[in-house]
Amino acid sequence: MTSARIFFIGGLMSYRALFGWMNPWIFVPSLLVSPVCQILLFAYIGRSAGVGTDEFYVIGNALNYAAIPCMFAMTFTIGGERFGQTLGLVLATPARRIPLFLGRSMPVIANGWFVAMFGVVVGSLLLDVDIPASAWPLMALVVAVGSLASTGLGLVMGAINLVYRDGATMGNVLFLVLLIFTGTNVALDDLPDWMAAVGRCLPLTHAIEATRMLADGATWGAVRGLVGTELVIGLVYLAVGLGAIRLFERLSRTGATLDRI
Amino acid sequence: MPLTERPAVEARDLRRTFRTKQGVLRPTRKTVEAVKGVSFEIAPGELFGLLGPNGAGKTTTIKMLITLLIPTSGSASVLGHDVVADVREVRRRIGYVFGGDRGLYERLSGLDNLRYFSELYGVPPREQKARIGSLLELVGLTGREGERVEGYSRGMRQRLHIARGLLHDPDVFFLDEPSIGIDPVGARELRATIAGLREQGKTVLLTTHYMFEADELCDRIAVIRSGEIVAEGTPGELKGLVSAGRVLEVETYGVADGVVETSRTLGGVRSVVVEDRGQVQVLVVSCEPGAEVTQAVLGQLGDTRVGRVSHRDPTLEDAYVELVTR
Amino acid sequence: MNRLRQQVVCFWLQLKILLFSPFEGFLAVVFPLMFATAALLVYQVNGDPAAMLYAGIGAAAMGIWTSQTVSATTLVQRERRAGTLELVVAAPTPFSLVLLPITFAMATIGLYSVVATILWDRWLFDIALHVANWPLFVLSILMATVTIALFGFLLSVTAVRYRTSWALGAALEYPGWLLCGFVVPLDLLPAVLRPLSWALAPTWAVEGMRAAAAGESPWSDLAICGAVGLVYAALAAWLGVRLITAARRDATLALT
Repeated sequence: MTSARIFFIGGLMSYRALFGWMNPWIFVPSLLVSPVCQILLFAYIGRSAGVGTDEFYVIGNALNYAAIPCMFAMTFTIGGERFGQTLGLVLATPARRIPLFLGRSMPVIANGWFVAMFGVVVGSLLLDVDIPASAWPLMALVVAVGSLASTGLGLVMGAINLVYRDGATMGNVLFLVLLIFTGTNVALDDLPDWMAAVGRCLPLTHAIEATRMLADGATWGAVRGLVGTELVIGLVYLAVGLGAIRLFERLSRTGATLDRI
Repeated sequence: MPLTERPAVEARDLRRTFRTKQGVLRPTRKTVEAVKGVSFEIAPGELFGLLGPNGAGKTTTIKMLITLLIPTSGSASVLGHDVVADVREVRRRIGYVFGGDRGLYERLSGLDNLRYFSELYGVPPREQKARIGSLLELVGLTGREGERVEGYSRGMRQRLHIARGLLHDPDVFFLDEPSIGIDPVGARELRATIAGLREQGKTVLLTTHYMFEADELCDRIAVIRSGEIVAEGTPGELKGLVSAGRVLEVETYGVADGVVETSRTLGGVRSVVVEDRGQVQVLVVSCEPGAEVTQAVLGQLGDTRVGRVSHRDPTLEDAYVELVTR
Repeated sequence: MNRLRQQVVCFWLQLKILLFSPFEGFLAVVFPLMFATAALLVYQVNGDPAAMLYAGIGAAAMGIWTSQTVSATTLVQRERRAGTLELVVAAPTPFSLVLLPITFAMATIGLYSVVATILWDRWLFDIALHVANWPLFVLSILMATVTIALFGFLLSVTAVRYRTSWALGAALEYPGWLLCGFVVPLDLLPAVLRPLSWALAPTWAVEGMRAAAAGESPWSDLAICGAVGLVYAALAAWLGVRLITAARRDATLALT
């Protein structure tokens, strides 16, 4: 019961406490306008280069951009506490760590899902991309799995943020890695083999591929494997993140690294 | 009026309101009157203290005087220059230092911070080097000036601030709670530096929470409460406001709620506050001259364990507490 | 003379701050570089050398845009957080002259990113820049840098007034890359956006770079570029005075 409360209520409250500075003047430009602009940028690059379809870029970039809220928010739920010097207080409580940190990830996943879906919808409208109505429910599900996987990567970064202080720079660098390696703008087949191999270990790669297939009319059976792989990748990152938090928490108790900001 | 009698700083009925907006979808607007008609004069070479609780309007008053805020109404001048009309003339002649550890470029060395502001204040290039060197000497940072400010302690940052404020040799100096958060030794050195400024003939406006600091340094003090000046005078005169009475101190272990309120209603009591001193809480009761309230106050305490009971003469702090809680 | 010295010293000190910053010194270069890489990867799929060269030249200029728009709008936020915004406003130097050297320090980072991108293009994609007229090509890059700096100056002046300007500034990054025609020919964009592109000085500077590389005359492009840049500067100087006064009236300087 306590763990359930920590998961739901604690998660929501810490989200509100840490993102109190968020307002429409920040949310709209950075999480709604920017992803659409990124979609347009690459769609036009594709048109100019004569490579790919508009739909290819709409889906790739919309999902890629979900990584921004997912990774940054998750890093910030830990890094932000460090700045506010409340992390020590939270870690001093007896609350179980798994519901504590997973609870924080729920609003983050929802946020990422919303940003990606907004990008797909608005991008499709602006560029006149036709996606069959029947494909949308499954696409929404796949996008949610992709958000979960990105949030898993975010949790790992959050853990690293416990020992390395510049979380924002790290988040930006990882976002760039995802941009280039996950097949956002160039299909994995067209990338050099080593890049494609890296891409297959990252979140979003399989979700992007599955979403594109669904938009082209593929059935659940055809994308099931991809979605399953994405889910497994996400869970692995989450597990690594939780393990790393536990490890760094122990290290910080011996090395007193948490209170340094 | 002869020129020598012109005040260095003059505030005439200064007022400042802030509009705040909360909520995005249905914004509620609130107007807060931070400063409600403040007037005072500071003579050249005087060290003037502005005391008051947090949020009383001290910083807002200073920011109007140093041209960062435009008064909603009223006027002010520094060395005869109006703070709204003659902005550049005022800025050239004043120094401004605030407490805390912000206001510095973390990624630059202390020396580079001073160089940057020397340029912005138009310190002639030829004088810069000597000036910065002597200021570093004055604030005791010689030898550390090449390190980045990131690694400075709070006290070092505060001293660098003072040096920054003095770069252009201003005639009037505004110090907004400069001693906040520095250790007793650092605070004592800071007081010596401030006293040194007065000896050089600078005019200083100082705000502080520390009464002994104000008592030791200031020629004159104004107490500000909720945006209004409630008393003004030398430290001695302010103490005099309550010195006709006595102060009763009662040590208690766990004072009950409501005792403070009911004690205030007792005859002969002017004000009552509770101070925490370690494990004990001290009830500080300021009384009318000749009033004997000891038994009545002890009666209010009921079963509460009581320690030492004593009487003493009022201090500046008592005067201050009485003025701002009245 | 003293004014010039002031500007040079302030420029140098501000450049130091930027170079030590992981955000402006590292990301402002790496971020556009990676986007340029992504764009070139798309072009590489078909492997048309003419298109690669077209994109390679434009991609080099992407970094100047980022270092200005994003850095300029976060600049004021940075000064606010550090608590130095009030101190520099309280100094007798006019605020626009405080901002100008900062903007040029950012432009220097932008210039560095141009060189880095050209080398990167060559190393990763084998794009050898065939430039017919190097002096004019370099002049065009410098024009791009200066005019984008003036645009950043305009932005940072405007940003004093608005607490969340950094978010708006970051949102300008992608549209700028698209509208200035760095990696996409402007003819492909909807015609309604054309006037916006023309109002952006870098559009003309990039045209100039391409003309110089192809051995054509870049002078007409560069003249328009300079004229647009001067308009930015005039607008910024005018706004600077008004906005600082407004900030003093409405007490928005100290907000964190």
